[in-house]
Amino acid sequence: MTRTLFIGLDGCTFTVLNEMTRDLPGIGVTMPFMKSVMEGGARAKLRSTPNPLTPPAWTSIQTGKGPGQHGVFDFIRAEDKGGEVFWTLYDSRDIDSETIWSIASRKKKRIAALNFPLTAPPPGNVDGFIVPGFIPAKHLRRNTYPRELFEQMKQNIAGFDPKELAWDFDNEKQALEVLSPEETEKWVRYHLPREEQWFKIAEYILETEKPDLMAVMFDGTDKIQHQAWQFLDPALVPENPQGWEKSMRDVCLEYFRNLDGYIERLVTLAGPDAQVFFASDHGFTASYEVLRINSLLEDLGYLKWAVNDGSEQALRREASDFANLDWSQTTAYCRTPSSNGIHIRVAEKPGDPGIKPEDYEQFRDKLIQDLFSLKDPDSGEQIIVDVLKREEWFPGPHMKHACDLTLVLRDNGFVSIRDYKPAVVKRPNPAGTHHPDGIFMAYGKGVAAAGEVELRQIVDVTSTLLYSLGVSVPSDLEGEVPQSFFTSEHWSENPVKQGARTRLERSNEAREEMDEEEKKKMIEQLQMLGYME
Amino acid sequence: MSNTDAIVNKLIVLLEDFTQDWDTELDSAMNPETRLLADLGFESVDIIQLTVAIEEDFGLHKTPFDKLLMNNGRYVDDLSIGQIAAFLEPFVAAAA
Repeated sequence: MTRTLFIGLDGCTFTVLNEMTRDLPGIGVTMPFMKSVMEGGARAKLRSTPNPLTPPAWTSIQTGKGPGQHGVFDFIRAEDKGGEVFWTLYDSRDIDSETIWSIASRKKKRIAALNFPLTAPPPGNVDGFIVPGFIPAKHLRRNTYPRELFEQMKQNIAGFDPKELAWDFDNEKQALEVLSPEETEKWVRYHLPREEQWFKIAEYILETEKPDLMAVMFDGTDKIQHQAWQFLDPALVPENPQGWEKSMRDVCLEYFRNLDGYIERLVTLAGPDAQVFFASDHGFTASYEVLRINSLLEDLGYLKWAVNDGSEQALRREASDFANLDWSQTTAYCRTPSSNGIHIRVAEKPGDPGIKPEDYEQFRDKLIQDLFSLKDPDSGEQIIVDVLKREEWFPGPHMKHACDLTLVLRDNGFVSIRDYKPAVVKRPNPAGTHHPDGIFMAYGKGVAAAGEVELRQIVDVTSTLLYSLGVSVPSDLEGEVPQSFFTSEHWSENPVKQGARTRLERSNEAREEMDEEEKKKMIEQLQMLGYME
Repeated sequence: MSNTDAIVNKLIVLLEDFTQDWDTELDSAMNPETRLLADLGFESVDIIQLTVAIEEDFGLHKTPFDKLLMNNGRYVDDLSIGQIAAFLEPFVAAAA
């Protein structure tokens, strides 16, 4: 029997949700079921990870810990290898904390996790079902757990189409590009069948398997808001849209109307005894300007660009979302737009490029001062409103992988790393960007009709879901169960049980470090094969 | 059977499974000369997924695939199953 239904809504924000659940002139209520959920349940703004980004934030929801503990900071890892950038993607093996899927399974609860980031390759230590998100169609079968589930879905779900539901890298890149009006509408429409595919899988598993913890994430909310924010934010929606604008507004409403139907069906299938939770990894807001951070760092004397010789390789390198720099003359730089942060180059040994380790504090303080000095020439307002030091915001064993400084811009935008001037430009139209405050809502048996309650933290989601499942909450989780979400009767009959610390078990346990002799032998063999100099 | 042959065979099993939903048509069965891009229609994202699958199937961890995929700071144009097997041999031996 499904005890807990968790519906993830990527990037969902009350700015939009409140609009979709109220009676709008000429439109009506777009999400009538969500309106009843909000009226009959409890809700709170949910503060995201310091850099409100999908991989670290969903990983915090899945682990109940911050990025300094779980070790996931971005979508990609990129290393400069001279002429090219070597890319690898973060995957489930990079999560250095036990996930809720594993914790629940250990406590004899069956789980289903659909479309969550970093659930591939599927870990072997879960009892239940995983269909990972952010995986291309060609690789979905291999990353579905158990393997036979993929074939079962093909046979039993009418219209099941991996190409429609899975991640397409070329398409996804469009989320942050400037698209033509036609492409923008196509982009929004692309997500309609995609969400229906995920809904059908969730419906199938909920009907046939009834896992104790049923979790599905819909990510069209984020993608659509990036490109169509001006048609969703009530402060920006055109008053009397015509032509293409009307078409855009209509397709956005269609998306949310469909989503409401999917949610209603899943909540109904879960049954009246289930508790239902909704959470987003971050919220959304409007970005009005672009900060070309590396260009600014160049102006401030911290960075020098690599010489572009105009070759095909150089152009490809320039176009990649990884800064192409003269490393011998760069002391601080931003690696990727999504990181929204600055790395300081510290020399590992005398003579290496970068600052001396003993100069780090002083160098960093000066850099922060320089960043704060960037002002809007018209209003005098600071453009970078906060600069987060990694030891304060990313405590834990993975702190060293965080940016030295994480930036908070006045419009919450993500930086650009392109080599263009000037360092700050106005956008032609407002674009959707991530806001630190997402949503957290509860509904169902034992949930109080409390309306909006106090701000919660993203790590609270994990503890709350475990509490709802009736299992103990590991003592090393960073979050708390929000008492205000539950009726006093439910709370007194179901006190929070604190359990032992989490356990990190890997199906493919990292082997013991090689001893020096083994390392030497391997390097010799690689040299012999021509793979190492 | 040499270690490399055993790795080639295991890679072929992996790649047959890996590409089963693709529209790839091979003239002959996979062999050490079969190339990822030219013969199997790999794209860059498929290579990233393959490195994950290899580590999973061979029980490897943090394998320096950049040494296989890049040469003098540039990505190699293509790779054969035999080349991948030769690269993996010391890592597989160390993991055994």
